Amino acid sequence: MPKSQQAPVKRRDFLKSAAMGAAALAAAPELADAKPAGATPGPRVAPISPEAEFGTPPALEVLTADRTGSDFMVDVIKSLGIAYVCANPGSAFRGLHESVINYGGNKDPEFITCCHEESSVAMAHGYAKIEGKPLAVFAHGTVGIQHAAMAIYNAYCDRVPVYILAGNILDATKRINAVEWVHSVQDAAAMVRDYLKWDDLPLSLPHFAESAVRAYKIAMTPPMMPVLLIADGELQENPIPNDLPLTIPKLALAAPPQGDSGAIAEAARLLVAAENPLIIADRAARTPVGLTRLIELAETVQAPVIDQMGRMNFPSRHPLNQTQRSRELVCGADVILGLECSDFWNALHSFRDQIHRTSLPLTKPGVKLISITAADLFSKSNYQDFQRFPQVDLDIAADAEATLPSLTESIKSQLTSDRKRALEDRRAQCAVARQESLERAREAAGYAWDASPISTARLCAELWAQIKDYDWSLVSFTTFVNRWPQRLWSFDKYHQYIGGHGGAGIGYGAPAAVGAALANRKYGRLSVNIQCDGDLMYAPGVLWTAAHHRIPLLTVMHNNRAYHQEVMQVQIMANRHSRGVDRAGIGTMLDDPAIDYSKLAQSMGLHAEGPITDPKDLGPAIRRALEVVKHGEPALIDAYTQPR
Amino acid sequence: MRILSPASANMPRSRTFGAGFFEASLALLCCATVALAFPVGNTQKGKLAFETHGCPQCHGNQGQGFSNAQTQAPRIGPTRLSQAAFVGFVRHPVGRMPSYPSQDISDGELADLYGFLQSLAPAVKADPASANAQNGKRLYMSDGCYECHGKEGQGSTQTGGSRIGPIQIPFSAFVAYIREPSAEMPPYSAKAVSDADLADIYAFLLTRSQSTPAKSIPLLNR
Repeated sequence: MPKSQQAPVKRRDFLKSAAMGAAALAAAPELADAKPAGATPGPRVAPISPEAEFGTPPALEVLTADRTGSDFMVDVIKSLGIAYVCANPGSAFRGLHESVINYGGNKDPEFITCCHEESSVAMAHGYAKIEGKPLAVFAHGTVGIQHAAMAIYNAYCDRVPVYILAGNILDATKRINAVEWVHSVQDAAAMVRDYLKWDDLPLSLPHFAESAVRAYKIAMTPPMMPVLLIADGELQENPIPNDLPLTIPKLALAAPPQGDSGAIAEAARLLVAAENPLIIADRAARTPVGLTRLIELAETVQAPVIDQMGRMNFPSRHPLNQTQRSRELVCGADVILGLECSDFWNALHSFRDQIHRTSLPLTKPGVKLISITAADLFSKSNYQDFQRFPQVDLDIAADAEATLPSLTESIKSQLTSDRKRALEDRRAQCAVARQESLERAREAAGYAWDASPISTARLCAELWAQIKDYDWSLVSFTTFVNRWPQRLWSFDKYHQYIGGHGGAGIGYGAPAAVGAALANRKYGRLSVNIQCDGDLMYAPGVLWTAAHHRIPLLTVMHNNRAYHQEVMQVQIMANRHSRGVDRAGIGTMLDDPAIDYSKLAQSMGLHAEGPITDPKDLGPAIRRALEVVKHGEPALIDAYTQPR
Repeated sequence: MRILSPASANMPRSRTFGAGFFEASLALLCCATVALAFPVGNTQKGKLAFETHGCPQCHGNQGQGFSNAQTQAPRIGPTRLSQAAFVGFVRHPVGRMPSYPSQDISDGELADLYGFLQSLAPAVKADPASANAQNGKRLYMSDGCYECHGKEGQGSTQTGGSRIGPIQIPFSAFVAYIREPSAEMPPYSAKAVSDADLADIYAFLLTRSQSTPAKSIPLLNR
């Protein structure tokens, strides 16, 4: 046994013992000088003076320890198969930090240096959507969690597992200075609990082990969401007592919940009988298997699919992908199946934002609505991410991906030969419509083709030409570029798209892209990020993280030099008040001076070019950047673009 | 922290009302032939067709439209659709409007009907024929048209701004829609933008180029 463990004196317990000894001495006179009955009781224990609390150390002070609580915590983290820890360094988890890089060998997990806790969590968000499981985030107590808060909310809304450990010093007598006081908190998780699935404050190492495994299991059970464990400083840094039995509980992930068999049979009956069925998929595919299952369902019933693109749900050029006809199909459908729709109501209504906000149903009378979503299984009150209440006819509280096989089988069992022939006709019509949609998209892309600033269609077409022959992965969401990638590119693999932010908290894009690229690295995939300028400016330090850790990522800036969504919002108000809109740029533009993103990226070690204003220069610049990325480095191209 | 408007399929809701309708319109527009001189048809015959085919039942006697849960019929007097888009929509409508195939109403009748609908636009105190397109370009930017419609008027599915470059509706219909948009577009009162300014903007939009044919662009054929 190592010498330092022969006397398991805890680092902080040494101080505690010294303080208690001094306190006992200070209290002794009172015991000797007992007061008569009825007298006003005096203090039973005299206040502890700073001198007593931080008194002279004993002669045999133990200053080192071979194994501390944080080492065991790393053992637990390793047992969960967590490959990376994203963190901005903070003293509240210094024990864990040191244990990861030394005791744990900085491998599985490897420490990823982040410049902001929001980046740490958003990287975890993007990583999980590629890898299907969480990486860990370490966060400093109070301020670190506060920095992380918005990114946690995004992941919560997006139903993505993020595994967070935050430091804290709960015992007030162990806080060594003013900073530790202001960085300590009674209930550290409280500030983000509204958008966590679960949290805990383990009080012992066995407690930590159990809660750590439990937290992982909870995070990974649909609906998946972030979890938070508080790793108290004492628990991290004190030596592990010799007589403390430590084991790590076995992890068995919960099988995702499947829909009730009777409800599934009824859903199948409705879909088989429908003349104009429609499938709307939002976060339907959690894994590559989910994509395959949705294809099988759609082809079995030959129903058109509207992909809301919360995940990579459905191949973009599949004949049944009718996303570009969404309104027409919603209006004409007699049965609509919603799969993990984050806002089913909104998919079925129009909403008008004039002074009097109004909404109207798009669906025809008598339409049957079926919903399958795990969101029904977990709800909270305060934050309103549950959206408006959809009045469905058949509500199946279950994980869609897990439920699809039984639904497909039920449909197959109800299909007659005649019905199958009729469905084939529907598929043929969809195939024609799909091709027409593609032609229309190409025609639309031809407008402003040679414009400067560069049109978003041109940007996406130039990018597609360079990446299409690689095993590529688009790790940014496409709403702000008019979804040109889905309209022009061919998506058919799960890792080719990661969906959006979830909570619409801007600042997600760049770090989520880096996190997803980190997950893609081991597969040798080409990660591609179309990066909005406003989003990058929240925490651009994540570019340095990509460079420092050699994370290959091709970033092309969608640099419209504005918080453009907000330009339009201010314009709406100015129009409403008939005051003209020429001042809508005040407070909304990112210009004068224009931000030089290539220099910003270069300063952090990236290959970067730009700004590129002539669309003819974009393709060659992307090619040059691609050569850098192919060698395992990140690169950035700054393109001046149209607003949208 | 910056939070976007409520999401609609990851799009800000406040700009997506009627986006599907716009998309359908855009789809039709892009198939349309450029026509800078707008055929107006016979407005008298168009009025007769309007009444004969029951249009007022949903759209009102003056094509003013009704926005209620039963009809949801937009204002069409005047319509903001190009003639080609108008014909396409009548033949293949989206939503609750019934389809009118050519055996029910001929292309000639639709041309007359279109002319009648556009004649319902209020009188405009400006003439785009004598307008200043260069000034229109400046106004197009300073008045924020580019924000939703793009700097070349190419449109955007995300903002809901339809393609307006080159413009394909008569000036009177253009002005009428801007003053009282029936969908999501914020209204521009005469106090904010005069008819003369709109004439300049209109003249600028007329000068915008058509789509480069997709077949001639290798990048769009992959």
